[in-house]
Amino acid sequence: MQLTINGQIKDLAVQDNMLLIEVIRDQLQLTGTHNGCDTTQCGCCTVLMDQVAVKSCTILARQAEGSSIQTIEGLAGSQLHPVQEAFSQEHGLQCGYCTPGMIMSTVYLLQRYPNPTDDQIKEGLAGNICRCTGYVNIIKAVQSAAKKIQEAKV
Amino acid sequence: MNAPEALLRKEDLRLITGQGKFTSDWYYDGMCHAYMIRSPYAHGVIKSISYEDVLKAPGVVRVITAQDVSQAGMKSLPTGVTIQNADGQNQTLAPMPVLATDKVRFVGQPIAMVIADTYEHAKQAAELVQMDVDMLDAVTDYDSALASQAPQLHEQAKGNLSIHFTKGDEAATEKAFEQATFVSSMCVKSQRLIGSPMELRSVVGKYDPQTDRYIIHTPNQGMLGMLGALEHITGIPKAQIDVQTQDVGGSFGIRGGAFSENALVLLASKLIGKPVKWVATRSEVFLSDWHGRGLELNGFIALDQSGKILGLRFENKADLGAYTCYFGSFIGARNIVITMNGVYDIPALSVSSELYFTNTVPVSAYRGAGRPDIAYAIERLIDHAAYEHNFDPIELRRKNFIKPSQFPYDNRIGSVYDSGEFDKLLDRALEVSDYKNFEGRRQQALQNNRLRGIGLAYFIEASGAGTAPKDQVIGQFTAQGVLQMFAVTGASGQGHETSFSQIVHEKIGLQSDQIEYIAGQADKMMVGSGTGGSRTLYGVGSAVFNLCEQIQEKSKPLAAQLMGVPQDQLQFTQGSWHAGNQSLSILQIVQKTFVPGQPHPLDVTGEASSGATYPNGCHIAEVEIDPETGVTEIIQYVAVDDVGVAISPALVQGQIHGGIVQGIGQVFYEQAIYDETGQLLTGSFMDYAMPKAGCLPLIKTEKIEVITKNNILGSKGVGESGCSGSLPTLSNAVINALRPRGITELDMPYTPAKVWQALQSN
Repeated sequence: MQLTINGQIKDLAVQDNMLLIEVIRDQLQLTGTHNGCDTTQCGCCTVLMDQVAVKSCTILARQAEGSSIQTIEGLAGSQLHPVQEAFSQEHGLQCGYCTPGMIMSTVYLLQRYPNPTDDQIKEGLAGNICRCTGYVNIIKAVQSAAKKIQEAKV
Repeated sequence: MNAPEALLRKEDLRLITGQGKFTSDWYYDGMCHAYMIRSPYAHGVIKSISYEDVLKAPGVVRVITAQDVSQAGMKSLPTGVTIQNADGQNQTLAPMPVLATDKVRFVGQPIAMVIADTYEHAKQAAELVQMDVDMLDAVTDYDSALASQAPQLHEQAKGNLSIHFTKGDEAATEKAFEQATFVSSMCVKSQRLIGSPMELRSVVGKYDPQTDRYIIHTPNQGMLGMLGALEHITGIPKAQIDVQTQDVGGSFGIRGGAFSENALVLLASKLIGKPVKWVATRSEVFLSDWHGRGLELNGFIALDQSGKILGLRFENKADLGAYTCYFGSFIGARNIVITMNGVYDIPALSVSSELYFTNTVPVSAYRGAGRPDIAYAIERLIDHAAYEHNFDPIELRRKNFIKPSQFPYDNRIGSVYDSGEFDKLLDRALEVSDYKNFEGRRQQALQNNRLRGIGLAYFIEASGAGTAPKDQVIGQFTAQGVLQMFAVTGASGQGHETSFSQIVHEKIGLQSDQIEYIAGQADKMMVGSGTGGSRTLYGVGSAVFNLCEQIQEKSKPLAAQLMGVPQDQLQFTQGSWHAGNQSLSILQIVQKTFVPGQPHPLDVTGEASSGATYPNGCHIAEVEIDPETGVTEIIQYVAVDDVGVAISPALVQGQIHGGIVQGIGQVFYEQAIYDETGQLLTGSFMDYAMPKAGCLPLIKTEKIEVITKNNILGSKGVGESGCSGSLPTLSNAVINALRPRGITELDMPYTPAKVWQALQSN
């Protein structure tokens, strides 16, 4: 099957029972996408599929056929994405394991709500668990990223 | 790509771009995959196990069984620090076998490891095992374990008791209670928790027959803790094992030593001659990562007419789980004892602790490891005593505070507190929280049919002196003038690379990109403790400081020579030596004097011995409970902390946030629940509720730096203090909200169902 990953078209041989995360990690060697649970709860595996945040542990690889997948590795161009920068500057990560998923969920969140309220941020990150930060600085990072993106547009 | 200086931490660039390397990110050619066969039974005698069908399944390479473990001469897992009574009586130990042999004692206990060409094959084959087990009744809590006819886990531990530990001055305490005008008691439970770091537990092992050496990738808290445990279990000398770990996705105390799977992967890679990878599922993490807490603390306090505390007694119960592993006993008999007086000057103290076995996952350290539990117990008790005997809870605390003039303060039960200004922090917390106007806010909430409560706690905890006699940091300069530092301690989110670099930058002026911190490295035979007990910043950080002092001192004659001036004309400021209008930075000196192939004259080993520290703080929280639903909302949380000198304030604040929210998890959501047959009912994130972004209140943190003399930096621990503050603070707030409805005691977690039920029954 064929899919686009971080802008590159790939031809892949996948088995029917393979999950998208297995293709991303084991075949494409993009190990920034992490596996954190078996139950679609933690969000460490969040990627964008046709610009919508999905949990790659809960999508069969075949369901992604023909789609465009963006992982954490494909987010920065010549510059870091404002969300990446904001997560660091606001100390929105400690161990960093949940971070790629958090960042991808935030990118999706800010596509929907460019100026999110606190409640929209909390709702938007409801599918991502972080054990280290207590979320305080993650929320600050989302707010800061929103501001950065707005300012870049002006 | 942006310059890294735009980022807060050295660690961040790789972690925000997906370039971090966690254990499961290691791949080797020809690598095989492992899956564990675990006990589905809580308690039973193994009659026979057949792996015949497993071995015939597609892709299976080998099954590592208890027989293989025995043939390899492996020992059981380390029991950790063991406990002894004053009269010499030793704790009864029950070391956990790498793989179960005659009996299984908890659901999830490792029985065998299946190795196959793919993970899927290993997992599918594991289903085909045939186990003949005679099931026995299980004991899952204190009452069932200590009942007269209770099933016995271990022959050597009569009545499932490991030790009845006692400490303190029993006679003096008894006398204090006889003389008391007021006595209060309170029993609190610190429920069993599951640490749940986000990175799944994992091991990748590779054996090289040419050199007879092993490489192991696995999350850990410091290379020596992992190596020591592996050597103990496998008998493989430390020198033959390379622990290679880069990023660790959280640890919280759980990953201090080796688990069965660590030893098994090493054995498997040798037996099959290929690298082996094992990655747990989240269910396996729930079933086999050491659990935390599992404590019951029963406190009794004696007060005189004026409210002066005369004596304090605790009668504790500690659930060790099925075996004595790592820190369970240490927590149950030491950590919940040595700060049991809290921040109060109490003349008579005594304690007993019953450590007992149950058919559950063994208990070890989890964020705070007993410290939050005892802070919770004493601060609940003092609040309870205040209300029972009509004292103002703040004035009762103030009256009994250890005063600044009393330091160093020997608390008579195992700690010498070095410093603290409790009145000052309390005053500040009262001010920031607008405590004095609370009653108005309570009345206002009542008009909306909401029960508002305020809770205050003043906690103190003993931050670790470390298991090693000192901490060493080896410093080596590269040709480019980059200072590479090596030490034992490994981070799991704390930001060691950033904090250590900051100390170096402030002391000798090297820039962040001229400094590297490399954790581990078995071929560097250094001394030091792993990350734990919130001690790394002041323990290893002090050694880094010492390293810099030595570099400065040794660079002086080099600077003098390079500038052609006598040493006494040199001044060192901002990382450079100055004489007249000449100046040379440390970097320039290194670059000018570097001889390829030779160690640089400024390559030195820094070291420091640091004592325990006593971080403390006053936290105040306000909550509102909806009596119709039992849902509690945290409205505001104020934390004023004394962490001594804060080296990296943003990272310190991050630790406090994280600790507070892990405490919120315990207070409102988390609990490991076993049914009476010993099945874990909370085996996934669907049943075990973790705090999420939506749980978050407004958190205000402030710090007041009271410098400690117990280490060079003047810093105190911070990793666990948020948790020690938030358990009692939030519990006191919930009870304060419920007290007008006649509820004075309730156990965590305060789930809506529990709170609603309590409101209905009153």
